[in-house]
Amino acid sequence: MATNHSGVQGEVDASSSPPHFISPGDGCVWADASSLIDAACNDLQEGDLVHGENFSLFAAMSALEIMDPKMDSGIENGYCTVEEAIEAGAAPVPLSFDRTVDVQRTIDVMDHLFSCEATWHKGSILAQTVFSCIYLLRLERTSPHPILNAYCRIMHATSNEIIKSVSNARTHEEEDLFVMAYGLPLKDEDNERLHAFLHSVEETISRKLRACKAQPSSKKKQVEDVEPLQTNPELEEGYCRALLCRLRFRKYFDLTMRQIRNWQGKGQSMAHKYIITCLAELENMRKNEKFLKSQPHISCKDSPETSTTASGCKAIGFDATLNAKSLSPAPPRAAKIISWHDARLYFEKLLHDFDILCSFSFDPMLENILQFVVQFQKSKPDLVARAYLQLLLIQSGKLYGREFFHEVIARVLLLPDVAKDKAFHQNEFVVQLGQLLMVLLKILCTNSAWQRRKLGKTLQDWSVVSIQLELAYNREFGEAQNSSADEGLHAKVSKRLFLWAQEQTYWIASRFLQLGFELELYSPWEYCMVYWYMSVVFVQLLEKIQLRSIANIDTTRQKGKKKRDNHAKDHSRDAIFSPSCLLLQCHVYLCEGLAMVLAALRNEGSAFKMPNTFNSEHERFIQHFELLLRAHLPEQISFSSFHESILHARVSDVVRCDYFKEIQRITTSLKGSFAEVPEKLSEIRQIEQVAERNRIALNIINQLGASDPSLRVSLELTHHPYFAVVVVKRS
Amino acid sequence: MEESQVAAIDEFHTQLSTNNSSPLVSKLKKLLYKRMLIGVNDGRYFLGVFHCIDKQGNIILQEAVEYRITSRSAPGLADQRCLGLILIPAACRSSCHVDCSIEEKMSLMSLS
Repeated sequence: MATNHSGVQGEVDASSSPPHFISPGDGCVWADASSLIDAACNDLQEGDLVHGENFSLFAAMSALEIMDPKMDSGIENGYCTVEEAIEAGAAPVPLSFDRTVDVQRTIDVMDHLFSCEATWHKGSILAQTVFSCIYLLRLERTSPHPILNAYCRIMHATSNEIIKSVSNARTHEEEDLFVMAYGLPLKDEDNERLHAFLHSVEETISRKLRACKAQPSSKKKQVEDVEPLQTNPELEEGYCRALLCRLRFRKYFDLTMRQIRNWQGKGQSMAHKYIITCLAELENMRKNEKFLKSQPHISCKDSPETSTTASGCKAIGFDATLNAKSLSPAPPRAAKIISWHDARLYFEKLLHDFDILCSFSFDPMLENILQFVVQFQKSKPDLVARAYLQLLLIQSGKLYGREFFHEVIARVLLLPDVAKDKAFHQNEFVVQLGQLLMVLLKILCTNSAWQRRKLGKTLQDWSVVSIQLELAYNREFGEAQNSSADEGLHAKVSKRLFLWAQEQTYWIASRFLQLGFELELYSPWEYCMVYWYMSVVFVQLLEKIQLRSIANIDTTRQKGKKKRDNHAKDHSRDAIFSPSCLLLQCHVYLCEGLAMVLAALRNEGSAFKMPNTFNSEHERFIQHFELLLRAHLPEQISFSSFHESILHARVSDVVRCDYFKEIQRITTSLKGSFAEVPEKLSEIRQIEQVAERNRIALNIINQLGASDPSLRVSLELTHHPYFAVVVVKRS
Repeated sequence: MEESQVAAIDEFHTQLSTNNSSPLVSKLKKLLYKRMLIGVNDGRYFLGVFHCIDKQGNIILQEAVEYRITSRSAPGLADQRCLGLILIPAACRSSCHVDCSIEEKMSLMSLS
């Protein structure tokens, strides 16, 4: 590119004099110092610097590095404008006058665009990925080339659709570059017309494919009067197939994206069908790769690990620097386009994620929705999939776009009729909780790091509302419990509301702590305090769930007019020992057990001691749990309470308590209760394994003695995402 | 990096450079604080105060201004913008001129 510029300007020759518009000082001249510099540098020793007195290495490190793509926004490596690039023949139409080469190059453009799209989805800028394609920037130029034109137009339409959805969902968090599309020629096109055109192009290629298959020996006269795609009959079938699977993938991918947004009614099953077709076309692309790679006229080939096309050739018609100059919001970042192979894997994952969304049952129960979102996040979906998850859950401020959040809350309180009560949905607490709930669902759709940060912040709000609700309840109903029926309903609503708000607050706190493991924020010596805090939060959560269950039973009893008092007692027993409570109890035991094992190892042996770092243990405690402490979760907890509870931990005591044995006792009964729920069953199995391994490890440590110098104890998160397995080795 | 560490590195480098007694290096030192015009591979020019150079020929300019000759603008005109402290790697430097009197130019030419 530099030679191109120097050719135009004729001034960038090292030996030439400097440009005349930069004049030297008065009475001075420009003297060429290149030779002096070269010669003097030879004389310098390695590491030597020539500098003046005011030089500071520290300041020099902040210098802007010229020609570094990440720092230098003004690099002149390419054309100044799209028109200039087109004039210079950077994006010819047709791509070659040789029809075989033209088809081959068209496929390369399609493949590179495919890789660019995946790179964009993974957080790069649209302008430097998909819109680095000159054909996309000047769509009208492709009209004489129907195949390229169809592909580029559908690319436009899908990009537009995705930008709209992601901007609406606002899940792009820190990846805010994703929706940056100012100045790009993204315009809405009549979708039906576009798909009809795409269909006709696809039909034409299908006919060519049929024609070439119908004549095994090329000498035979053509059955139909179909002009072949290109000139080499041996390659005809392979090229037809390559084009067809690419065009079909685009068509069904676009249809999937559109269907997913309106999936009430038949939408879900339609989207599922499209996804299956998309996956099949991706598979066809993979099968076809071998054919494209074996083309004889291709000389320069990239390795499959880096190549952005199936054939391994570099695609023509792309220049990422064009937009960097013409669009102000495109920072000089070097977007590394991922390989075609990785792009295919990305789309496979995206489609599988979409398919999970298609299986969603629009469950009305909040608990199940939260469970679904948490489960969905376990597969680490990318930005686009998460955006569609959020659009599925919340549309125009309503759950699934059809239910107000006060109705959702009324259902959580097991009082669906109360939602019609004007006083209820205008109640300031209900309004506030409705908003908090909506925000919570949105937060749960974001990436783990952002989610944890936002959950920590929203905890304050939940905590304040639940404290206010409890105070209001105590003030109004604290003294007089038995009054008229109307007041009874009011009291009931208030009580359930504050119990639910408290429960939800602790649920958020537990999710906050769990995400710390996923993000690898805790180091092994801190696990003790983390498990200790988790056990405290889980105990509180369990207590709140049980309190709410009992409050719900109370009403049933009132309804039944004390007919069957014993029955009601059974009900409350059932509620307290419900399968989900028992599972939570397992979590409590695991946390307590692990915290105590780690504390005992610290007290008696040399493992898991705090390293000699800059921060004290107290400071680390504050850093990890500051947001929980600030939200009073729970009240009056501090570093000293942690310190006191682990101070006297001994291995023999932990063995006696046998937390892990307790877990195994509970899980046996739980398996039957969750027989229908595969996710829960697999979690129970994980917990069982962690408990079993830890029990054995604990016994070994007890037999050998924690102070045994040959003992090597480490932690591994191999069986469960956040419950560690203690591994014992002897050296 | 701690300030004291930076100061120590500074001192180390100063010592290194003072120990070097090559006449060429001494000549190069005389160019410090002079206006230097450097052309780079992609056709741009940078004008700034010569601040530092290392063995590899990477140059740091102070108060640098970038000149870009655009094909659209009238011949002889260039877009310019201030960049401040910049590092020009030797690999992308295509020309290098210093602003000096005629006598100094003669002396510069005499060495090679």
